[in-house]
Amino acid sequence: MTEAVVPARPRAASSNGWWGMVGFVATEATLFGVLIGTYLYLRVRAVHWPPPGTPEPKVVLPLVLAGILAATSIPIFLGSRAATAGLARRAQAFFLIALVVQSAYFGIQVYEMASDLDEFTPQQNSYGSIYYTLLGADHAHVAVGILMSAWLVLRLVSGLTRYRLAAVRAIAFYWYAVSVIAVVVALCLTSAAL
Amino acid sequence: MTTVLTPRAEQRVERLHEIWDERPGVLGWLTTVDHKRIGLLYLFTTMAFFLAGGVEALLMRTQLAQPNEHVVSPGTFNELFTTHGVTMIFFAVIPMQIGAFGNYLVPLMIGARDMAFPRLNALSYWIFLASGLFLYAGVFTGHAPNAGWFDYVPIALRRYNPGPNVDFYALALIFTGISTTIGAINLVVTIFKNRAPGMSLNRMPLFCFAILATSFSLIFALPSLTVDLVFLELQRKAGFHFFDVGHGGDPLLWQHLFWIFAHPEVYIIVLPAFGIATSIIPTFARRKMLAFPLVALAELLVAFIGFGVWAHHMFATGLPLIAIVFFAAASMMVVIPSTIQVFAWTLTVTMGRPLFKAPLMFIGGFIVFFVLGGLSGISFAAIPIDQATTDTYYVVAHFHFIIFGAAVFPLLGGLFFWFPKVTGRLYNEPLAQAAFWLTFAGTAITFFPMHIAGWLGMTRRIYTYPSHTGWGTYNLIESVGGFILAAGLVLVAFNLVWSRLHGPPSGRDPFFGGTLEWTTESPPPHYNFAVIPRVSSPYPNWDVADREEDAQDLDRGTRVFDEGHETPATTVRDGYLDDVLEMPSESGWPIVIALCVTLLFVLVLLSHYVSAVAFAGIAALALAVWHWREPEPEPL
Repeated sequence: MTEAVVPARPRAASSNGWWGMVGFVATEATLFGVLIGTYLYLRVRAVHWPPPGTPEPKVVLPLVLAGILAATSIPIFLGSRAATAGLARRAQAFFLIALVVQSAYFGIQVYEMASDLDEFTPQQNSYGSIYYTLLGADHAHVAVGILMSAWLVLRLVSGLTRYRLAAVRAIAFYWYAVSVIAVVVALCLTSAAL
Repeated sequence: MTTVLTPRAEQRVERLHEIWDERPGVLGWLTTVDHKRIGLLYLFTTMAFFLAGGVEALLMRTQLAQPNEHVVSPGTFNELFTTHGVTMIFFAVIPMQIGAFGNYLVPLMIGARDMAFPRLNALSYWIFLASGLFLYAGVFTGHAPNAGWFDYVPIALRRYNPGPNVDFYALALIFTGISTTIGAINLVVTIFKNRAPGMSLNRMPLFCFAILATSFSLIFALPSLTVDLVFLELQRKAGFHFFDVGHGGDPLLWQHLFWIFAHPEVYIIVLPAFGIATSIIPTFARRKMLAFPLVALAELLVAFIGFGVWAHHMFATGLPLIAIVFFAAASMMVVIPSTIQVFAWTLTVTMGRPLFKAPLMFIGGFIVFFVLGGLSGISFAAIPIDQATTDTYYVVAHFHFIIFGAAVFPLLGGLFFWFPKVTGRLYNEPLAQAAFWLTFAGTAITFFPMHIAGWLGMTRRIYTYPSHTGWGTYNLIESVGGFILAAGLVLVAFNLVWSRLHGPPSGRDPFFGGTLEWTTESPPPHYNFAVIPRVSSPYPNWDVADREEDAQDLDRGTRVFDEGHETPATTVRDGYLDDVLEMPSESGWPIVIALCVTLLFVLVLLSHYVSAVAFAGIAALALAVWHWREPEPEPL
């Protein structure tokens, strides 16, 4: 008579929630693009970068940390795959592993930022201003991800629903983007020492 | 179209009412997630801001009507032109287009029952309202923004502008940016994912293409403004150095970041207007839009090129010549998609059998002012002309032809055009036409002489001028024009209010429009469509067979989706049915979160950062609780 209107198969395309996250990440990535653009703009206009009297940024530790954060994409990916297969416990475990590493990363970064502040301040010159603003935005981004992941891990206690699966995929996408952004920011900031 | 419902169909409609109807009374409006109610809230709010911006404009025109006048003080004049610009752009025109027209019409045009994220939609409105009130809290406490709508540094820095005026500006715009970003993402996802089955991209109404292009522009342009404003506040409140040369900053950085946002912004203002034009023209020309795919592409292209022309606002700042030449060439390119559209509009009218009713007349006025404003716009791509006219009234004339003539005229036309849909009543046609001629004459008389005053050397933002300059006559004409324009707008408002109360009933489709919003009742019920309509062309309401099929579907119970708060989800490109979504219903969380965010901004303004962070925490907690409850827990 008429075509079947409710498909019997599981949904093929990505959910609205995932698309919403893509939109959010697009605007956030642009925000980082603008911050990094500002960094480069101020840098090419400066004679010395960092200016005399301001210590050069550390190189090894930030890059290693960014690498570790990027590596958490692996458990996130595995967790997302487990959720798609309907395995709530596994998904929760993978997200929890990632969450522990991400929280440790965040803690070390906050400590590092505090010790940087002992050496030079954002009020000293434009280098300090953009350095701390870019780094602060990066850390804030990670903090938001940690909050979302914590919510998700708690929510998965009572199993998976379609709504929560959408959340798993959206939050996983967010973390992939955060990893890329953290690496780019680390490369940008450490480049001043090279 | 009168439809007699079978008893079975009537039962289904009743059930849809039960499922979708919201709480009555004020509480219903406070917790609403219905895109139509939110659209109306946006409309009323933006109209209030439009009125405020208009009063500011009239005060300025009164001050400038004669040389050596002292109606207001120089300081007040600075506040007037700044607040006028900020209000009209950020709190009146753009939110009226996206928030009011976009919100109300997009789901109706694509055959959806709500936006993709109904509660976010409500959040977007409440944040918008709060940010506008935040700005006007500054105005009413005597701290209105006073450094121009583009707020150049160094005048906007604490050293030269110690009061909280600029803080009100910066924080209000960051604040409203949250709302705009949420709204833009919501519209993109709605347009991508919630079109009625069968509405592939090539069958999507051009209005939705325009809103899509606008939303994309906002998503990629706003971060630049936000970052710029955050830099400004960090420098003003925390002593950072972004814009002062002494510590390695650069004042031009402000201008670059501002215009990287604000030139796309110009197209953000006109694109929805294009969308409204492409809705009104085919209806009253009684034929399909000419060159449909080209117009759709042109709308997207305008938005895209808009990102590559920002520095033409900065030709007088001493940028390297090579940069200037590049941006001049890019600015010329905008002519191509704009011209495609102008020809498509005018040819559609001339090749159809046009009925010159008020909405089409407003579109006619729009085309006239868009071409005139466009021509003066191209003149800025000629570098010497730009440098000679920078900061003169020639520029003011140009962008008012564009913003008032090309953006507000379609809004006025759209108000009349969709008035019967929203209210179920007809407006008064002769009165509407009279209002058109008044506003048309008012716009021309107000803004045309500004071109001449500009060439005679009258600069922007001056609060008065000596009599020997010879600008007095032009300014007097402009001021008279301003009041004629205001009279026209009052007549529009009177017509709408009077017709709301006394207009004759309009039925579903008084103009025989082509898009889906005309297939449903006027005003549309909360669930929009009893049957999710079938779509087989860009003008589904003209496909009579499809509409008859819809009526039969209602009887059979196919495509009704009455098992819950449901709307279909479809694939992005082809519009194949993909899923049936359970949509959330009324919620109090959006308004709670908007309140927390408001307190956050107030506390930042007052430099109470710890308490501000506390409210950010409460907002985050509220978000977590909001998302804890699911529309209806469905197992996998």
